[in-house]
Amino acid sequence: MSLPWNIQETFSPEEIQFIVENEPIKIFPRFTTRVSLRGDRAKPAHTRWKLVTADDHPLNNLVAIQTTEVALWMALLLKQQGKCSIVAPGWLRLSQLQKYIDYELKHAERFSELPWNWLVVAQLLFSKAADDLHDPVHLLRGKIQDLREIRLGKIGQGLKHLNESHLQLDNLSLLEINELRPFVLGVMNKLKQVHSSISEERGSEDYYE
Amino acid sequence: MGYYDIDDILADAAKFPCRFNYAVPGLGYLEGNVGEEIKKNAKVELPLWLARILAIVGGDEEADPDSEGALPFVELLAPEILSSRVMNAIKSSPVALDVHSINAHFYALAVKWATLFDDRELVRVLNYMLLERTREIHNHAASGTLGGAPSTFMLTLDEFEKKLYRDTHSGCKETRHWIVRK
Repeated sequence: MSLPWNIQETFSPEEIQFIVENEPIKIFPRFTTRVSLRGDRAKPAHTRWKLVTADDHPLNNLVAIQTTEVALWMALLLKQQGKCSIVAPGWLRLSQLQKYIDYELKHAERFSELPWNWLVVAQLLFSKAADDLHDPVHLLRGKIQDLREIRLGKIGQGLKHLNESHLQLDNLSLLEINELRPFVLGVMNKLKQVHSSISEERGSEDYYE
Repeated sequence: MGYYDIDDILADAAKFPCRFNYAVPGLGYLEGNVGEEIKKNAKVELPLWLARILAIVGGDEEADPDSEGALPFVELLAPEILSSRVMNAIKSSPVALDVHSINAHFYALAVKWATLFDDRELVRVLNYMLLERTREIHNHAASGTLGGAPSTFMLTLDEFEKKLYRDTHSGCKETRHWIVRK
């Protein structure tokens, strides 16, 4: 209870990052952990890797240059050690991002269907796996920044639909929602107070017309 | 909201005009006449926490047996902060209104008043005002030029709005920092 309000009620961006890092992503491993089926015991032990995991299957069955899905944090860790390259997600390329931007500009009232973790994944890959992306990273950064700014503007517009019970903004990502949360909670709580100050009986017909 | 909410306590200390329905001996000090009685129909400014109780609790019926039902001790009169002048100013332009100069706890007081009098019109106006003003607050908090000269709008916020601005601003700031750091 003694924690500050913003730590109790919302996530920090770092916590969002932590949540997103548990999502699967495809990698090209550069080493093999699978036990050879031919049982080639003659080879020296150092050619085989064994990773300590809770869920044994994907990580200890890596085959070099064969795509595998692992958690993002593991992918980033292996990438950092030069032991894999990450397959950038399909939406993270210039042409696709431009399509999203066009959609955002065309539909003033709607958000494009970006993945729920687009901002975090994009930022993580930009900083840790820039050489694995489909396009030059500075161009991608620009597009992501454009998208973010357009969407921020729309969020500001969308807030006029706020009422005491709900606010619907589809296709917002986790980080964007989290950024908005302190504001929306504050306003909605106050609106609730305002509305609960008058008695209920006649109120219902007046306010839901 | 809570028992220890300092803003709630401060809001309750705001003075509201009241009219006494009874002559009460010994209460003259409220008017400045120490030791005298307070006259019937005397107008006094009382803090809301006191006025609210006195306006609800009925007087002594035996003292005035002819009346139908007991009148409460005082009658609450419409305060300046909720006068029609202020209401019209809100309706015409909520963002331009200097809420802080009207009262630093405007929303809290307005909600208390609406509770006492079941004032639907006031709730409608408050709802509109809250939406318009908070959107402006969000604009300021999200664009957040740090260290810049505060705009005049920022000087007109009441206590609730200030807290909202602070929370919104810190959330947006953290996110912005995170993105830059990555």
